[in-house]
Amino acid sequence: MRKIIYLSSLALFLSVSLFAQKVEFEEYDLSNGLHVILHKDNSAPIISTSVMYHVGAKDEVDGRTGFAHFFEHLLFEGTKNIPKGEFFKIVSANGGANNANTTQDRTFYYETFPSNNLELGLWLESERMLHPVINQVGVDTQNEVIKEEKRARIDNAPYGKISYRTGINQHIFKNHPYKNSVIGSMEDLDAAKLQEFLDFHKKFYAPNNAVLVVAGDFETEATKKMIENYFGDIPKGEKVERINIKEAPITESIKVTEYDSNIQIPVKLFIYRTPSNKDKDSYTLDMVSSILTSGKSARLYKKLVEEKKALQVLAFNDSQEDYGTYIMGALPMGATTLDELGVEMDAEITKLQNELISEKEFQKLQNQFENNFVNSNSGVQNIANTLAANYTLKGNTNLINDEITIYRSITREDIKRVANEFLNKNSRVEMDYLKKEIE
Amino acid sequence: MKNNMRTKITTLIALFLISLGVNAQIDRSQQPKAGPAPTINLGKPQTFELKNGLKVMVVENHKLPKVSATLILDNGPIFEGEKAGLTSIAGEMMGNGTKTISKDAFNEEIDFLGANLNIGSQSANFNTLSKFFPRILQLTADAVQNPLLTQEEFEKEQAKLIEGIKSGENSVAAIAAKAQNALVYGKNHPYGEFETETTAKNVTLADVQNFYATYFKPNNAYLVIVGDVTFKDVKAQVTKHFNNWKKGTIPVYEIPKVTDVAKTEINFIDMPNAVQSDIAVINTVDLKMSNPDYFATLLANKIFGGGGEGRLFLNLREDKGYTYGAYSRIGNDERTSATFKSAASVRNMVTDSSVVEFMKEIKTFRDTKVTDEELKNAKAAYIGSFVMALENPATVASYALNIVTKKLPENFYETYLQKINAVTVDDVQRVAQKYFSTDNARIVIVGKALDALPNLEKLPYAINYFDKESNAASKPEMSKPLPNGVTKLTVLDNFFNAIGGAAKVKALKSTLVTYEANAMGSVISTTEKRTSTKYANETSMGGNVVAKIVMTKDGVFMNKQPLPAPMAGEMSYTIGTFLEMGLLNNESSKLTGIEIVDGKDAYVISTKGEIVSSSVYFDVATGLKVKELQVITMQGQTQNQEATFSNYQEFNGIKFPGTKTGSLGPQKVEFKLIGAKVNEGVSEADFI
Repeated sequence: MRKIIYLSSLALFLSVSLFAQKVEFEEYDLSNGLHVILHKDNSAPIISTSVMYHVGAKDEVDGRTGFAHFFEHLLFEGTKNIPKGEFFKIVSANGGANNANTTQDRTFYYETFPSNNLELGLWLESERMLHPVINQVGVDTQNEVIKEEKRARIDNAPYGKISYRTGINQHIFKNHPYKNSVIGSMEDLDAAKLQEFLDFHKKFYAPNNAVLVVAGDFETEATKKMIENYFGDIPKGEKVERINIKEAPITESIKVTEYDSNIQIPVKLFIYRTPSNKDKDSYTLDMVSSILTSGKSARLYKKLVEEKKALQVLAFNDSQEDYGTYIMGALPMGATTLDELGVEMDAEITKLQNELISEKEFQKLQNQFENNFVNSNSGVQNIANTLAANYTLKGNTNLINDEITIYRSITREDIKRVANEFLNKNSRVEMDYLKKEIE
Repeated sequence: MKNNMRTKITTLIALFLISLGVNAQIDRSQQPKAGPAPTINLGKPQTFELKNGLKVMVVENHKLPKVSATLILDNGPIFEGEKAGLTSIAGEMMGNGTKTISKDAFNEEIDFLGANLNIGSQSANFNTLSKFFPRILQLTADAVQNPLLTQEEFEKEQAKLIEGIKSGENSVAAIAAKAQNALVYGKNHPYGEFETETTAKNVTLADVQNFYATYFKPNNAYLVIVGDVTFKDVKAQVTKHFNNWKKGTIPVYEIPKVTDVAKTEINFIDMPNAVQSDIAVINTVDLKMSNPDYFATLLANKIFGGGGEGRLFLNLREDKGYTYGAYSRIGNDERTSATFKSAASVRNMVTDSSVVEFMKEIKTFRDTKVTDEELKNAKAAYIGSFVMALENPATVASYALNIVTKKLPENFYETYLQKINAVTVDDVQRVAQKYFSTDNARIVIVGKALDALPNLEKLPYAINYFDKESNAASKPEMSKPLPNGVTKLTVLDNFFNAIGGAAKVKALKSTLVTYEANAMGSVISTTEKRTSTKYANETSMGGNVVAKIVMTKDGVFMNKQPLPAPMAGEMSYTIGTFLEMGLLNNESSKLTGIEIVDGKDAYVISTKGEIVSSSVYFDVATGLKVKELQVITMQGQTQNQEATFSNYQEFNGIKFPGTKTGSLGPQKVEFKLIGAKVNEGVSEADFI
């Protein structure tokens, strides 16, 4: 009895020590609606300035896909005070590093600098927000670059249509813009007129549709003043209306085949539509994914890779604002057929649907998610990204500290229920991803 | 009074507003200046060494409750030869159980604790929550010293390796990476060899056990532990778990010398599925980190192709739009040659142009000094990354490790910024001339021959061909297969339809076209007249006729002199109201395939003769003729004549090429269509 009490108090102690490494931040709005988040950490002389715009591929209209990603490129072309081609140069010439990325839901720009260049970082992002130069020359330049990006990352890369979802999304979504890929259609981009880019910019890239995160080694009061100086007078834009497009449930399994000329080994994939990232079930699916494929003791890995039936198993849980996508798959080995892999994958799903996972497996999940959680908070740039995403996509900045409690609240019964609710045989896409022969 | 009061308040408010305004007045047209440089704090890890030679470095960092560790066996490269794949298999087998813990129990426990552990053929690393560090360290020590190496595991890993080798066969990037090393270092070098299905099959379990017993020794081992630990605890635990690891003798291996090619050449590997060509221009360099040139080479490479501001990127991506990114890299190596490599993946059709730009950039970089601004910016970039890298606690440990393994002076990193700052533009040029080669480089290209080769062949470099395993090969087949149903007749009918309708064209009695060009300082004009049985061509320069060719059933006459009968016989098929009418009726003119002309697919109709051969190219999409190629071989000499056609214009309902580009000696000459007539302007007198 005594021993048990001792153990539980030890467990309590551990969880307290974990919460002690809380990420401190403060947040407020400027009068133009720009949301500001500050995370101060003076332990290393580094500063990150980041802006996340709440616009992604899902905000595009049919016939004009690829716009959000196009702007990721276009907004490096220059501003009223930064000549064309100088943006990267200024960052590098001041010892910084920068980049940007786009998803279905948001676009993220960031710089990191030695901390004496905080003001420069704020200036760069405020220039980009206030008066970027959007002209035909820039559009033409970036159009070519994006075509090369598509060739390099998708058309010439093994499994590129899976990695970048260009062979996935259209099958699992029929109405929602998630049916398109982030890189979009090259024909759409070719056909787009300058005015359409200008309109898209006006609609989505205003301060009231963005969050600025400053993270790292700074002094709070001076920083707030600088933020007001650089961002305060950027005009507010129209209120952005979010799309509200519903997908009808899939009631009969959809069988499709995709081809890739860069591969030798095919892939069997099951693709499921899952709930919004704000839904607790989306977190539960992360755990399902972990049970099946995370680590050498994971169920699907042990069953397929250890038994020499598969070269590799994979699972991605794409959690997104409106709907998610859960993808699981395997690459066959030796004489195993894709159909056999499908049967094995189904057997593992059925097991999750019919039996509770063991207490031990459940504890394993807790440890794995705690480790992920600790690692995701390392480095000011990672922290900035998480803060911005939690605010923009989930409306709760403090998830950076609280998310672990959501995972901890998930029960074994939740996992079983979610497997039944979302990993249904009749509501999925079954894909054979095959090698394309070159004549 | 009241009024007065009010005025005062207004003034106060106004003043207040003004002062707010002044506060907000920033001049955003000026780029903000950096504040005073932050002080940097270069810590040092705490270290200790075990009797068996294992050197341990510890960096305490309590910011997050986690620990990472890396074990490195610094034994140098290992040559595997006929058994290439041995180290891969051994690496995969390690870390799956120990002599006392079964594989399942071992993997289950690592996963249960939420940790990640990887053991490679000459390394190990893990990360874990700090609360589980002692157990993970213990499991790692056991796995490193007492690995479970069974036949069953061996067979599984061997099969996976073979499957993995196959899986990369259609990946341009994978083939390119293999080829670059194999060609530059040679397959007899540890960096140049690669595993194939055959060599992987040569490996046995005994080889793996022997490899482990020979090379997994603490002699040259370093263990680096970073994170939420105390030095005292680490020392106690490491000593406890690693003290019994036995020293051994590591075999001495002499690495073969590497030499560059005597003259820059292209090494081409055909991959028909490629939509981009992978290009790498590579020469070897002998460069250690301790070399005094090291800092200048870093900066030279940074300016040349080290990032988005590098010259390669600005030229090939930003200016030309050939690629998503073009970069260079210069390596360093303690034991053998490293490489200087400039590379990009570019779309098929600009493969040759990209090679030209790469070589031009290297040459310019050697021949002219970089600007002060370029050097200043490159220094700033290095200084910035140096400062920012300190955020990661592992940086300090990796610096300490470099000092020992790369034999650097103790103060190498304390004086790092100073040495970066001391580099001059002259230093940059000096090292560029020493390490960036234009004359002895290999240009390794993996791409689609059909698209890339025709223009690559025009570059002044010899081309050597290789297969996907970097064995010498012959030049790839250069034409595309024809779709079903396409014949010479359909291609020619498409052409006739495209220029005005097959029936209409075939019914014509005569054609007359005149072209003009400006070349060699005068106007060159050429008039061609054709009937179904006769042909005449008159060329004049500055108004004077310089050549007249007449072809009839009686022969071919140049300036009234008959050409030799065999040659005339091979030219006569070109008679007809259009050359294409001649092709239609000539049985030895055949549709041979699809080739690429200026980036577009074109059907080729070829006529082969002893002396005169020709190929005529028709655009697959438009049906129009886009090119003619004539090869004349006489007395061992070969002469090529090429003309391209574009900008078709309509005259009397029939379209003729508005622009005809041909070569006149070394010069390209563009002829413009002046006029064209059908069924008029041609008389018998023209063919005398």
